[in-house]
Amino acid sequence: MQKETGRIFSFYFFLRKKSPRTKVFYLLSWASVVLALIIRAYRLAGNWTETSQVVFQNILMTFFLQFLIIILALFYGSSIVSEELEGKTWPYLSSRPVSQAAIIVGKYLAYLSLTSIMLVSAVVISYLILNLDQDFHLADLGTVVRYSAVLFLGLAAYLSFFTFLGTWLKKPILVGLAFGFGWESIIQYFPGSTQKLSIAHYLKSILPQYTTASGKLGFLFIRLEPTKPLIAILMLLLIVIVFLALAALIFSYKEYLFED
Amino acid sequence: MTAVIEAINLSRWYGHVLGISEVNLEVQAGVTALLGPNGAGKSTLMKIVTGQLKPNIGEVRIFGEKVWNNRHIFRRLGFCPEVDAFYEELSGFEFLSGLLSLYGFSQAECQKRAERALEAVELTEVKNRKIKSYSRGMRQRVKIAQALAHDPEILILDEPLSGLDPLSKRRIIKLIKELKGQGKTILVSSHVLPEVEALTSEIILIHQGKILARGDIYFIRELIDTHPHMIRIKSPQFRELARILAGEDYILDISFRPSEQAVIFETHHRDHFFSRLNELILELSLIIEEITSPDDNLQAVFDYLVGK
Repeated sequence: MQKETGRIFSFYFFLRKKSPRTKVFYLLSWASVVLALIIRAYRLAGNWTETSQVVFQNILMTFFLQFLIIILALFYGSSIVSEELEGKTWPYLSSRPVSQAAIIVGKYLAYLSLTSIMLVSAVVISYLILNLDQDFHLADLGTVVRYSAVLFLGLAAYLSFFTFLGTWLKKPILVGLAFGFGWESIIQYFPGSTQKLSIAHYLKSILPQYTTASGKLGFLFIRLEPTKPLIAILMLLLIVIVFLALAALIFSYKEYLFED
Repeated sequence: MTAVIEAINLSRWYGHVLGISEVNLEVQAGVTALLGPNGAGKSTLMKIVTGQLKPNIGEVRIFGEKVWNNRHIFRRLGFCPEVDAFYEELSGFEFLSGLLSLYGFSQAECQKRAERALEAVELTEVKNRKIKSYSRGMRQRVKIAQALAHDPEILILDEPLSGLDPLSKRRIIKLIKELKGQGKTILVSSHVLPEVEALTSEIILIHQGKILARGDIYFIRELIDTHPHMIRIKSPQFRELARILAGEDYILDISFRPSEQAVIFETHHRDHFFSRLNELILELSLIIEEITSPDDNLQAVFDYLVGK
């Protein structure tokens, strides 16, 4: 199983890094870099007086956490099965000596790697653009590593969930959009433990230096009642494992048809 | 002889639509053709044989092993699907070596096998071009190459000659015959009798999801020859041609298409008809612009066999 997963991973990492979709999502990810450049120029003109850390946290929360990782995970995760059916390439894959579970896990890992590269490169460069000045210390890089690690965990969890949706539903995009931008946003404004029924809750619980209403865009943030960081990390890992296992299970037993 | 592929009482539905029904089949080494009109159930049968689909009833065994959910069988089986679909961003070489890597071959071995398979289908010169730039014939050949690159004992080729130009067809037919010479078991589907004739004499007739008959090409030909053939000839001298041939006893009916400068003959003896036509072309220096068959002879045979 491990070897088969590795083979699927290598094939799909190579295949998708060349795809037009990947190029589009690279451009989208790097929109944050353009945004960072504009803000930096704006700040240099003396118009935005908050600290660079706060400005970056604004971008992190609004663009990366609440938009980009959901979009990346949705379009890559939900397509794991549908791209083979809609592209009618499924027979090439299903007539090879690899298990169904290896196909799901291998493709999941390949897409997680691809999207992580997009995400982390955009995060690091945006951070540096906003923070690289005379007050910058190498120790500050630790912060960006922590931010990146949280986003990676979020991406892994969303990707796993959307992979599950992709194996289960024929048209997973609409349900995925409703989940990612509906459920995940709305439920966080609910007090008490209801907000724990979202992935975003656990991500925000482990963000470094998180404040509930910092910066100009603070009003967009949730009223977080955080879970303890260790539990939040464990919950995210559990989400990854459970939904990936469910996806592999469904994929192993379900028959997929495409129109000839 | 032990059957390489064995289908036992196979039935498959798509909702309320019948795909195949109670199919029993044994395929031995060599080339066997599955012949039937479009929608006859050929692709459904091939998908079940290759484990793409699960039968509602019955089972398929290859070398005595079940196919459904048995990935190990794919080391011994190569499948060329009918659909013209690819990972378009890859080159022919990347496509093949990528798929070969899924068998666990080393990178060097993948490259060697990919080169060999591309050479077999005469695509070496364009191996580094993206598949999306390939012609229809090249795409069909690269599809066949992916099925044989891992050197399987069984090849399942779904309409491998579909949409190909005559030269490409000849190449593929030659390749399939070479593979037969290597002792492989090849199951080919087609809806065109002359294509099947060029490939093999072992034919299975399938129609409306059922196996109607099985036999050699002469048996099928006999069935076809008992039925009238429609032959449409386009020529500026179509009236003269009709006048001369009207006296022949194998001509059953003649109808004119003046607006198209064409005449349609109905005959129950194709060979005699074409032999006489050749003579007339030479004797009278007739200009023939087009010869076509308006009806589908194969369909006529199937209609006859199912009692329509």
